[in-house]
Amino acid sequence: MRRSGYLAIGVALGAAAAALVSAAPAAMTAGGERGVALYKLVFETALDRDDYVDEPDQVKINEAGINSMLASLDPHSNYLDPKQLNEFQTTMKGEEFGGLGLEVMQEGGLIKVVSPIDETPAARAGLMSNDVIVKIDDTAVDGLSLKEAVDRMRGVAKTAVRLTVERGSSHETKVFTIIREIIHVQPVRSHVESGDIGYIRITQFNQQTYDSLRAALAKFKSTLGSDKLKGYIIDLRNNPGGLLTQSIEVVNTFVSSGEIVSTRGRTADQYQSYSARSGYDVSEGKPVVVLINGGSASASEIVSGALQDLHRAKLIGTRSFGKGSVQTVLPLGDEGALKLTTARYYTPSGRSIQAKGIEPDYKVLENIPDDLKGKVASRGEASLSGHLKNGDDEKTGSDAYVPPDPTKDTQLIAAVNLLHGAPPPAADTTSN
Amino acid sequence: MIRKVSYLALGVALGATVTLGAPGALHFMAPSAYAAVADTYRQLNLFGDVFEKIRNDYVEKPDEPKLIEAAINGMLSSLDPHSSYMDAKAYGDMQVQTKGEFGGLGIEVTGEEGVIKVVTPIDDTPAAKAGIMSGDIIISIDGDSVQGITLDQAVDKMRGAINSAVTLKIVRKGAKDPIDFRIVRDVIKVKSVNSHVEDGDIGYIRITQFTEQTADGLRAAMEKFKTDIASDKFKGYILDLRNNPGGLLDQSIEVVNAFVDKGEIVSTRGRNPDDAQRFSARPGGDLSGGKPVVVLINGGSASASEIVSGALQDHKRATLIGTRSFGKGSVQTIMPLGENGALRLTTARYYTPSGRSIQAKGIQPDIEILEDVPDDLKGKDDTKGEASLKGHLKNGDDEKTGSQAYVPPDPTKDKQLIAAVDLLHGVKHAEAAPAASPSPEAKPN
Repeated sequence: MRRSGYLAIGVALGAAAAALVSAAPAAMTAGGERGVALYKLVFETALDRDDYVDEPDQVKINEAGINSMLASLDPHSNYLDPKQLNEFQTTMKGEEFGGLGLEVMQEGGLIKVVSPIDETPAARAGLMSNDVIVKIDDTAVDGLSLKEAVDRMRGVAKTAVRLTVERGSSHETKVFTIIREIIHVQPVRSHVESGDIGYIRITQFNQQTYDSLRAALAKFKSTLGSDKLKGYIIDLRNNPGGLLTQSIEVVNTFVSSGEIVSTRGRTADQYQSYSARSGYDVSEGKPVVVLINGGSASASEIVSGALQDLHRAKLIGTRSFGKGSVQTVLPLGDEGALKLTTARYYTPSGRSIQAKGIEPDYKVLENIPDDLKGKVASRGEASLSGHLKNGDDEKTGSDAYVPPDPTKDTQLIAAVNLLHGAPPPAADTTSN
Repeated sequence: MIRKVSYLALGVALGATVTLGAPGALHFMAPSAYAAVADTYRQLNLFGDVFEKIRNDYVEKPDEPKLIEAAINGMLSSLDPHSSYMDAKAYGDMQVQTKGEFGGLGIEVTGEEGVIKVVTPIDDTPAAKAGIMSGDIIISIDGDSVQGITLDQAVDKMRGAINSAVTLKIVRKGAKDPIDFRIVRDVIKVKSVNSHVEDGDIGYIRITQFTEQTADGLRAAMEKFKTDIASDKFKGYILDLRNNPGGLLDQSIEVVNAFVDKGEIVSTRGRNPDDAQRFSARPGGDLSGGKPVVVLINGGSASASEIVSGALQDHKRATLIGTRSFGKGSVQTIMPLGENGALRLTTARYYTPSGRSIQAKGIQPDIEILEDVPDDLKGKDDTKGEASLKGHLKNGDDEKTGSQAYVPPDPTKDKQLIAAVDLLHGVKHAEAAPAASPSPEAKPN
C-alpha cells in the first residue's frame, strides 16, 4: 500500500497533496466492536428519538465525537470533512485559493496562528506566530472548530475580514481588517545573497517544492557560475512542514548517498528507510548553511536533521519545534479523510527529535524589538497537551522571530559570514 | 412507555435519579424520519471507519476504551453543558446520591493533609453507636492503610452492602494505641434538609439538594415547628436554597406544594409538543398554614432550586432575598444503557407558572442583598452562571451571568439571613425594603 506521509504543524490555510491511499477496512475485534457499539447506542439514544430538547445536528455532533476521539490521541491527528480535505489537497498541490495566508492550529480550544505565509495579506497586515484569534468578523471563535474558523477566514478575493487577536501573555487585543487575496502558495523563493551565495527560502513542503528548488539551483548556476558560488543558505525558519517525500528530495539535492530518514510505526512492517539516490545531488559539494528556529517543524526538521547528521550543512539559529511524527491521510470514501499519526521518524544517526527539536550547531538569537519581546517564541511540541512522549529530556520553547529587514537579521548575517570564511559565531551569541 | 425520572442539577451533582427502562412505544415514522435514519446510519458508519483506522494504523497501540470515552463525551458535550455520559460506576454513584441513601457507617469524613479525619458521626447510625468520635483519624480500613488513597477511595471502601462488616483502625487524641472498631453497615440516609427555630419564632429550613428524601425531610421539619413554636407566635418560614445545585424535579414540585395549595407549579416542554407537561399543586399538600415565607437564593442556587424559587415568587407566596440565581432552566433525563451506565440527556426546558424560562437568566430576588465577602475570597465567590457555560441553550438577547455565591459561616454576619428575619419580624430597613417595592441593592461596606 502506498501512502503519502504528511508532516506539518497546524492545518494550513495555505495549500498541498500527494497521491492519497485507501486503507482496506479490517475486521473488528470484540473489544473495539463493543466500544463502537456503545458509541452507537449513545448516539442513537441521544438522537434517534425525539428526546433531546432541540433538534440536534447529527453531522455536527458526530464530528464533535470523532474530533474528541482524535484529539485524545495526539495534537496532530484530526478529521477532515470533504471540504477540508479538498482544501488540504489544494494546499499540498500548491494551488490557489482566496484567503488571508495564515497557517493556524487549534490548541486547548484556542485558534492560534502558526505563522503568516510570506507576502500574503496576513503577513502584510502584521499577524504573527502565536497570535490567538478570538473573533472573526463579529463571531467569537470560542466554540468554533478549527474547520469552522478556517471556513470563515477564507472567501472570495477582495472581500474583507476583520480578525480580533490576542497577543502575548498580556492578552493585548488587536484588530486587523484584512482584504482577502488569491493566495499563491510559492514554496520556494530564492535570490543571490552578497553577490556569491545562493539563498533559498522554503516556506513549506508541498508538491511544488522540489521542482522549485531545482529551478532555483539551476538559476544560481546560470547567473553566478560554479566558480563564483560560495555556497547555499537554506532558510527553513518558520517553515511548519508538509510532505515527507518532498523533504527527502530536498535533502537528496544536497547529498548523493546515505540514509536520509527512517520512519517507524507500530508494527515491524511499517518500518521504512529512505536513502539518497545517486545522481540527484546537484549541489557540487558547495558548503551549505541551514537556518532554523522555533517555528521550523516536521519536514523542516527532517531536512535539518539529515543534513546535520550527514555533516553536509551547519545549522544556525535556534532550536527547532520538535515535531517528530508522521501523519498519513487516510481517505474515508465520500466522508472526507482522516489525518492520523502513523509513525515516528528518525534522523540518519537514529535520533528522534520528537518533543526535543534539533539544536543548531551555532545558536544565534535575533534582536527582538521591545514591543515583541516574550511574544514571538514558539512553545514547541513538548508544550502541546497530549503530545507523543520522548523520554525525560524533552525541551520546549524557542524563538521564532525573523526580522523583516535582512540587514538586521543576525542569523542570516552569521550564515553569510560563515560561508565567507569568517570564524564561526560564538557558541551562544546572545542578542543585546 | 418509558418512565423517565427527570433530573435537574448542576454538574455531577449531589442530587439525583432513577429511571426504569421499558420497551418503547411504537413510533410512526414520517418520511423525513426515514431520511434521518439514513443519516444516522451514515454518521455511525463514518465513526466506525475512523475508529477502525485508528486501531490499525495509529503510531501506538491505542487505549480503546479511552478513545470511546473521549468520543462519547465530545459528542454529548457538543449538545449542551448538562448532557453527559456516565459509565457504570458513575451511574451507580449518581443513583446513590439521588436516592439519598446507601449502605455505610454514618460518618462524615474529610481528607486533610493526607489523613482521613472524622468530622462527625451522624446520629443514630452504626458509627455513632460504635462510639466513633469527631476528630478521630482513620488509619486503615479492613487492614488496608489509607496512606496515599484519595478521600473518595476511602469513602468507597467504607460503603458497602447493608449488614456487612468493616473494621476501622483509629488514632484518637489521648489514646496511646490505635483502636480497632468493627462496625456493621446499615442504611444511611443523606440528610438534605436541615432545620432549626430561628429567633424563637421563625422556622428556618435549609435544603442542601433535592434527593428522594427531601420532601419527607421538609414535611418532618414543618411538623416539628408546629410542636416547637406556638402557632400564635409563629412568624413564618425561611427556606434557604443558597448554593443548592438542584436535584430531582418531582421533589422540587413537592417542596412548592408544601407552601401552596393550588395552581400550576411548573411546566416542561420538550421538542415534541406532545411531551409538554404541567405540574400543579395537589389540594391538601400545603402544610404552611399561610404563614409568610422568605426564600434565600444566590448565584449557586440552580435548577430544582430555581423551580421552587420561581414558583413561590410567581404565586406571590414568598419574598426572595439574596442574589440572582444561576439560571439553569433545562431538565435532564437519565436514560439507562444496560451494563454500560447511563446517559444524562437534556430533554426539556421548564417554565415557571407565569410562563417564563429562567434559562441563562436566573431569578432576580425581590430584595437584592449582597453578603460582605472577606478580602481573601473576593472575586472567588461568584458563580459565572449558566449563560457563561460554553454551548448552553440560548434564551434571547437579555441573558445574564455572574452572581455572588458566598454564605458567611457565622450566621450573625449573614446579611441575607438577617434581612429575612427582619422582614418576617416586620422590621423595615432603609436599605432592604419589603417585597412589594424592591429596593435598590444593598451594598456591602
